[in-house]
Formats: sequence, structure tokens, C-alpha cells
Amino acid sequence: MAEKVFTRNFGIANSHTLPVYRERGGYAGWEKAKGMEPAAITEEVKKANLRGLGGAGFPTGVKWGFIPKGSTTPKYLVVNADEGEPGTFKDRYLLEQDPHALIEGMLIAARAIDSHLGFVYIRGEYVQPWRIFSGAVREAYEAGLLGKNIQGSGFDFDVVIHRGAGAYICGEETGLLSSLEGKKGWPKIKPPFPAVKGAFGQPTIVNNVETLAAVPHIVNRGGEWFAGLGTKAQGGTRVYSVSGHVVRPGLVEAPVSITLRSLIYDECGGIPNGRTLKAVVPGGSSAAILTPDEIDIPMDVDGPKSKGSMIGSAGVIVMDDTVSIPEALMVVARFYAHESCGQCTPCRESTGWIYKMAHRIVDGHGRKEDLDTILDVAKRGAGTTICAFYDGAVGPYISYIEKFREEFEALIRSGSGATPPEPTVHGSADA
Amino acid sequence: MPKLTINGKEIEVPAGTNLIEAARLAGVEVPHYCYHPGLSIAGQCRLCMVDIDKVPRPQIGCNTLAADGMVVQTETDRVKDTRRSIMEFHLINHPLDCPVCDQAGECWLQIYYMKHGLYDPRMTDEKVHKPKALPIGPRVMLDAERCILCSRCVRFCDEITGTGELGIFQRGDHSEIGLFPGRALENKYSGNVIDICPVGALTDRDFRFQVRVWYLDSAKSVCNGCARGCNTEVHTSQRRPHHNQGRRIARLKPRLNPEVNRWWLCDEGRYGFGWIDDDTRLVAPARREAGALVETAWDDALGRLRSALGRYRPEEIGVIASPQMSNEDLYALRRLLDDLEIQSRDFRVPPREPGDEDSLLIRADKNPNTRGAELAGLAPGSGGLDTVGILRAAAEKKLKLLWIFHHDLLVSGLPEADVAAALSGAEMVVFQGPTAGKTSAAAHLVLPSAAYVERDGTFTNFQGRVQRFRTAVPPLGQALPDWEIVARLARALGAGGPIGQAERAEQVFTALAGAVPAFQEITYRALGDLGLLVRA
Amino acid sequence: MPDAKRPEFTAEQLAEVQRLQGLYPDKRGALLPVLHLAQDTFGYVSLEVEVYVAGLFGLSPAHVHEVVTFYTLFFQQPKGRHVVAVCHTLSCHLMGAKGIVEHLKDKLGIDVGETTADGKTTLLTVECLCACEGAPMMQVDDRYEVNLTPDKVDRILAGLA
Repeated sequence: MAEKVFTRNFGIANSHTLPVYRERGGYAGWEKAKGMEPAAITEEVKKANLRGLGGAGFPTGVKWGFIPKGSTTPKYLVVNADEGEPGTFKDRYLLEQDPHALIEGMLIAARAIDSHLGFVYIRGEYVQPWRIFSGAVREAYEAGLLGKNIQGSGFDFDVVIHRGAGAYICGEETGLLSSLEGKKGWPKIKPPFPAVKGAFGQPTIVNNVETLAAVPHIVNRGGEWFAGLGTKAQGGTRVYSVSGHVVRPGLVEAPVSITLRSLIYDECGGIPNGRTLKAVVPGGSSAAILTPDEIDIPMDVDGPKSKGSMIGSAGVIVMDDTVSIPEALMVVARFYAHESCGQCTPCRESTGWIYKMAHRIVDGHGRKEDLDTILDVAKRGAGTTICAFYDGAVGPYISYIEKFREEFEALIRSGSGATPPEPTVHGSADA
Repeated sequence: MPKLTINGKEIEVPAGTNLIEAARLAGVEVPHYCYHPGLSIAGQCRLCMVDIDKVPRPQIGCNTLAADGMVVQTETDRVKDTRRSIMEFHLINHPLDCPVCDQAGECWLQIYYMKHGLYDPRMTDEKVHKPKALPIGPRVMLDAERCILCSRCVRFCDEITGTGELGIFQRGDHSEIGLFPGRALENKYSGNVIDICPVGALTDRDFRFQVRVWYLDSAKSVCNGCARGCNTEVHTSQRRPHHNQGRRIARLKPRLNPEVNRWWLCDEGRYGFGWIDDDTRLVAPARREAGALVETAWDDALGRLRSALGRYRPEEIGVIASPQMSNEDLYALRRLLDDLEIQSRDFRVPPREPGDEDSLLIRADKNPNTRGAELAGLAPGSGGLDTVGILRAAAEKKLKLLWIFHHDLLVSGLPEADVAAALSGAEMVVFQGPTAGKTSAAAHLVLPSAAYVERDGTFTNFQGRVQRFRTAVPPLGQALPDWEIVARLARALGAGGPIGQAERAEQVFTALAGAVPAFQEITYRALGDLGLLVRA
Repeated sequence: MPDAKRPEFTAEQLAEVQRLQGLYPDKRGALLPVLHLAQDTFGYVSLEVEVYVAGLFGLSPAHVHEVVTFYTLFFQQPKGRHVVAVCHTLSCHLMGAKGIVEHLKDKLGIDVGETTADGKTTLLTVECLCACEGAPMMQVDDRYEVNLTPDKVDRILAGLA
């Protein structure tokens, strides 16, 4: 059984409290880090080949290195706890069951990038996780692990917890920063990039909850050790969220070398009710869909990519042969239409339009040109927007239609056909 | 100064220049909506994409600074195809309102669709519906469906006026431009959002449905509303006199002058043209006969004034000129008064209410040419009386001929009783101006002036900037430019010289430049479109 | 009694607003926390609340309205004592969210987006709440309720005060 890193404290009574966390070896990483040179910490994280676990998969150590050298302005560490990618729920568990791991990771990261103020942006719907995490922060302050001159180290670090208010786009790092600044969650045009000009105009590093939770272990046991747990492309284990048509939905921590097949069948018990696998989303709804012949891939940053998809947030959604793929497309299209922030034209206008077309197809009023229209519009818009939200929308749309075209065409053929249909419900209405 | 190549042409630009501006300097147009040189960068419309060597994907030009050695292509197949895509995205929910939309003919969706789109539309689903024909202030009409959400208007109200009335509410394709419910767009510069709106979302209530823009003619001018002298364009409807209720002036638009008003114009100035085509315009000379003003010919009117000028001694004549008059008008008058040795002359009349002023454009002095009047030498000469002195002398019957230019003295900041006493005390009151008022009604002789849009001339603003305004429409009725009335008078008096011989305003200006040191070496040609500062 | 039409924070709450504003390099950062506080206090974010909060930040009301209309957790109309928000994104859809929604519409006698006549319950459908392992699921006020069946839904509704 592979070693548990992120979930080692899960299921332990009161794992969210400081005494239990400490008892199980917590804050040893900080003990070590507080005596290290900041550059050495970053170096260790680079060696670990830790990749961002929120969705973008960017090498974390490299990101930390983007903070301008010799910058004397305040630098901010921002934790992206705005978990929102459909199919993903790992951060929720981390916040509730091991909040101190995040705090410790923040402390070490802050030392590495010379930050003295950290913000934790928790999605507004996560009320219970927010309460538990707030309690852990209070404990840390009381124990002198946060605040001024932490444990006599001379290092100051404050943590501000900031609740979101319901917008998936605030999981995009610069959308999050805009929201943190008290505005709509509109992503910022880049350049400048957050490491140069981020929250409140200052150099900022945004990291996912799980990514930071890896840091204490990396410092404690070395980057090389962490790297060795994974593949050449990516170090470590990670926590996969598996849902949909599996016997045992839930979290699975595994080395990133684990295959998608193994996740579905070995770890989660396979497809229930005697049904068969039809399709699977490997990395949250923003990842292109995969067919049963594409699941023998390692679930690291390169595996799904080799099949034209991505590991993203490692949110695995399994679909059996009862699923209507056109309906799945409609549901996903509805999600992106509802969550589009509206700032830039291609995404704002076409996510709503694509949803209308997908809805019309499911409703039995599809037209034969609809599929090519959706594909063409999606391909034309990809890469033209302010942020990757749109690419996360259309990559999947294209994969659903291209891989299951016959099913769409059959539905269209069996539909109403000739006469123009009544106007369909638009926007965020329930299907 | 970075040196870069745009479409094969090498060009050097100031540091900090973005690619849209760099291309403009190279004579290349990069289409765009949300970018505006006077506002912050938004990067929202995605239309200004260009290809840059060694960069895998097209980049927006507005947010990319020109760098040394950069090689930019704005007309690659990929850029053209991207523009076509972006045009389609913009038009997905746009209502086909062209037949009823005032923006038609100057709409950047139309213009860019014809240049960069030309695809067959395939959006046949129901478009998103939003409020239409919603007045959001006294000047501005909103059609939220037409809005392409470029956010220029929001940024204008935040960054230029600092009033923050507008916002973009909700999200996704339900995003909507609007005001806080129950409030209005009431800042003094609200009309500017109409200019900067690329489409027919924000339109002018005053101009609404009056005349199609392709019937308009345009002349470069300068606002006469205050001493700032904002540069304008006068748009006139002369080809369809049955439109715009027969009024010739259709609207005023600001003209870019980086030193004076940048891109902006205040509402007072923008909408201050109604008087030009109003019924109160004086369109013919008139003389008083048996208690009433009757129309007469120019020869007759000028003949009467000429005899009066001959009949009275110089110290019995008082002239109140106006800082509404142009440099040419004022100089011609000054030469005439010098020739006639009339020393009691002034141009200052206090306004009824103190003028409002702000840190943006608006000046408290609501006259366009106070500096010009000062420089032209229309302050009292040696031993001469000023405005108040002139009026008192007239009331005391020491002053017999009162020649008033433009000012409706009876509704000014001067005590009405004092003015009335002066008007009844003088033997002859001559009113010369464009518009009838209480003072003209009390005059013995009325001479109609052409409005500034009906002739050429120059004003000198509070900064000392001399700026040209150009003829937009011919004078109404028999009205003439003030300088020309003075020139005809001069000729009738047998005075030669440059004034008497002048046939065009420019000739008067040349004489002015030769005589007044501040205007030395300034010519109409040198003034160009943006004006020049007077010599210190 | 806090009134959304005539909103005013207590002295204690104003001190809290000041404290929150002080946590951020620019006090505007405290806007979301203060709006949450306002909604908890006044029941929902009325236009009057927006103007009031705008005043606390020196912002134009239009910019506060932008924020309130952008985020789904701010209610611009009075809501029920309880908010039942059913997730209908992909995993929940696969596991029967539609049936749960229909059951709730039937049980509560209202449509999605509406509040029961007695002011007790507001029914919403929402996008992914990230509890996919418990699909189909819903959020009731502050709690997540997972692995829903019509029976479980009935029990939960019965337990609402």
C-alpha cells in the first residue's frame, strides 16, 4: 500500500486540532524551514517536482521563483480554497480534516517568498470547512505559530480568511485576486502576472490548498523523496476525487503513476449494477472526456494530456452506458454559461449560445448544422480569451461531440426536424 | 525609443507605446472596441489581436507595449480569421436594430463587420433580451441589448468624472450596463459616453431620430461656451432640411486636442447650440420707427450709424464690445475706434450668476475670447470710460451714442435699473449681435451678427491659445460677421487700410498679427487644427 | 430590529467593519465580508443596504450593486428562513439530481427560484457544490446534505424549524 502523504491524518479523531496535528508530527517541517534560506526552500520544492494541484499543473517551485528578486514591496501568499471544479472535492476534506497542514504549508511558503501576509480565499458555500479552518487559525495564533515573531524566529506572518460569495470564476487565480480586492471576480489581463503585480498591485503567489499541504512533507523529507513517489513528469502522490457511476465514490490518494483504469476499477470498485463504462472525465469538467479505450494512462500531468485531455484538478467523473452524452454536454454547457464572468466577448456571448444549442438538441429540436456550429464556434474562440475558463469549456464540448458524434446525430435525426422550434429557455434556468 | 517593425515597415516610437498606437503611427489601423487612449486598458473586446514574431498565439495590441526589435504583423491570415471570429462573437446577441438605431452609419459593429466580418450569420436561437430605450439621464438613452460591454462608459465615469454612476451588473451573457436603480447619469460630462460608445447602446436624446448621420456635413470649430475653448466638430444637416425640424445645426462633437480638452466636451457646451437656429436670431438690420423696430437694408442701417458716428464727438460715444466676439471682430472694431478716437470702450460685463468651474474642463468665465479682447486692446483708452462709466454717462445724457455688442445688458450682472437708465438716456442705442433680447428690443438700430458657426475666425482661450473656428453653415438671413459689419462701416467712412479692404476674416487676422506683438508670426495656416499659444 | 429598508449597523458591528477593513491593504477588500455581515444582519441585500454599505467604503452604489449582482450567494430579495439549494451539475445530474428537484418542487409546492408562501423555504438549483462523492446532494442553509433520496429529503424538510 503506497504511503499516504496528504490524507495521513484523515479519519483520526480531532485531526483538525493542533494537539493531534502536533502529536502526529505536525509543524516539524516549519521547524526546519524557519532555519533555512528562503531560496533553499524553493529549491527543495523544485526538486520535488511538485505541480500545482488546483488545475493548472504549473511547477510550484518555478512559480515561487517568479517573485522579482530584491523586491522590497509587500508580497502576498494567497491560498486558492475556492474549490469549484465539478467533480472535485479534495480541498473540502483537507480544510475540514487537516487544516493545520495548510497552515504549516503556508508558513513555509511564506518564508520562501518573503511574504508576511497570507489570504485564504474559501468559497462561500463551504461554511463548515470555513468554521473548522478558522478554528485552526485561532489555535495557531494562540500557540504563537502565527502573528509576530513566530516562535522567536523573527518571522512575522498573518493569515486573513476571506469568504467567497458564489462564483466559480473566483477559482481562476486572477479572478480570485479581483474578488479578494472587493470587486467582481473578473480575471485580470496578463501581463502583468500575479508574481509581479497581483493582489492589491503587489507581488503575489497563488497556490491551491493541496499544493501547499505537500510543502511541509517536502521540507521534512526532502524534495527528492517526494519526486520519487511519482513519475518523471510529476512528483509525489495526489488526492483524486472520484464520483459518478462507481461502487465506491470518494477520495483516493495514490502516487501520480496510478492509471485511470486502476483508479476506477481497483480503488473505486468499478461500475455498479452490472453496467459498463461509457466515458470518463479525468480532471474535472474542464477536462476533455475519455473513452474506455483511453484509460490506460498514468494520472499525472502528462497522462491525460497524451489523449488530448488534462489531469486538471484530478476530479474523475465516471459515466456508465445509461448516460446520454448529449445530456451530459447540455449539463456541462449550462454550468459554463452560468459561470462565465462576462468580461470578454467570446466567452460571454458563446457560452450562452452553445448552451441554447445543446439544450435544443436534448429537447428534440436539434438541427443537423448545430454540431458543426458548436465545434466551429468553440474552436474559433479557444485561445482568444482573457483566461482559460473558455478553453476549459470548449475543450470538453469538442471532445463530447467528436467522440460521440453518432449519438448526437441520432438524437437530432429523431427530433422534430423541419419547423423552427419555440424559443428555448435561456440562461441559467433548470433543464 | 523602441524600434519595431509593423507589416514590414520599421518605425521608432516613444517608450510605453502600445501596439495599437504604434500601428497608428505606422499608418496601420488595428480594429478595436474597448481600447481608448484616454482611458485605462480593459482588454475585453479581444478584437485588437495582432501576430508577433516568436509568439505562438495572436496577442491583444492594446496591452502589449512596443519593444525593441519586435516584429508585428496585423494582416496575416490568422489575424484576419481571428477578427472575423471576434466579430461573430460580438454579434451573437446583438439585435438587428440598424433601421431604427441612430448609430447606423457611424457604428463600429457595422464598419468592422463590413471590413473584417462578412460571414454568414448562423445564430438562429433566441437572443438575450435586455432593457431597451431607457433614458438614463437628461442627455443619454440606453439600449442595453445593443451594448457590447466594452466598459468604456463605465471607465469614463470612474476615471474622468470620478462619479462612478455606471456599472456592469450580473455575469455571463446576462451582463448588463446600467445605473444603480433609481439614480441618473447626471454628471456635467454625461454626453461623452455617447461619443465613446462604439455602438448604439448609448445614444444622444437630443439627436434621437432627428437625421441620419450620412446626411451630415462637418466643420472644425471651437466651443464658445467658456474660456476653455474645447475643440469641436459642428455637424450640420443641410441636405435634408425636412429632417431635424429644419434646424441646420444637428449636433456638436468634441474634437481631440491634447492641450485643451483632450477627447472630451462638457454637456453645457455640447448642447449649447440651440440658440443658433432659434426664432430669436436676428436675421435682418432694423431701425426704430414710431416706437417699433422695422426691418431695413444694410445700406440704410450702416448709413444711419455712419452719420451718428460723424454727428457725435468721440467723448459722446461709448462702445461695449464683447468677449463673445472673435479676434478678427475685436481687432477690426479696435482699429475703427482708434481711427475715430473713441476712448470709452470696454468688453467686460459681469454675468448674472457666477459661473461654475471644475478641475476638468469647465471655466467660470463663460466667454470664449476674454483673452482676445484684452489683447486686441478693447479696454478703455486714455481718459476713456469703462462699462459702468459708459452706462452712467449715458444715463446722465453726457454720452449720446451707445454701441452695444452681443451683451443683453438688461439681463446681465449689472443692475437692471442702471442699464435701463442708460438705454433711455442715450440718444441712440445701437445693438449688434446674433440674438434678440431685452436690450436689442430697446435699441434704435439693430445690426444682425452671424453666429460663430456661420463664419471663419479665431478665439483666444484662457491659456492664450489661439484657435480657429471654421464656417459650418452660411449666415442666417442677412446676418454678417461682426468684422465685416465694421469693415463696411469703415469703407463707408472713407477709411482705407487693411480693415476697409478686408474681404475675408483671414485678412483681418493678418492685420492683427502684424499689429499686436502677442500674435506675431501666427497665421491661419500655422494655427492648423490645434491652435498656437500667443507669444508671452 | 434590523430592517433591510432602513439598514444601520450597531456600534459593535461598525467596529467590526473597521476591523475587517484594516485587515486588507486596501479597505475595499473587506467588501465581501461586510456584505456577508449585512446579509446575515438584514436578511438580504436590499438596494438600501447596498447604498448603506457603499457609504461605509466610499464607493459609488453602482459598484456595490455590481458586486451584489455578480455573486450568487447574495440575495437581492427576501429569502425564506431556509434555503434549499440543489446541485445540478454533472455528477449530481448523473446520480439523479433532476428527480430530487422534481420531488422538492412537488413537496414544497413551488418552482425553482421561489419561496413558499409561509416564508419558510426557498428552493434553488445551483452549480457544483463540490460534494460529488455524495451525489445527489443539496445545501440546506449552512449544511451539506448528501446521498439524497426522496425519503431522505422528506426527513430533512420535516426537521426544518
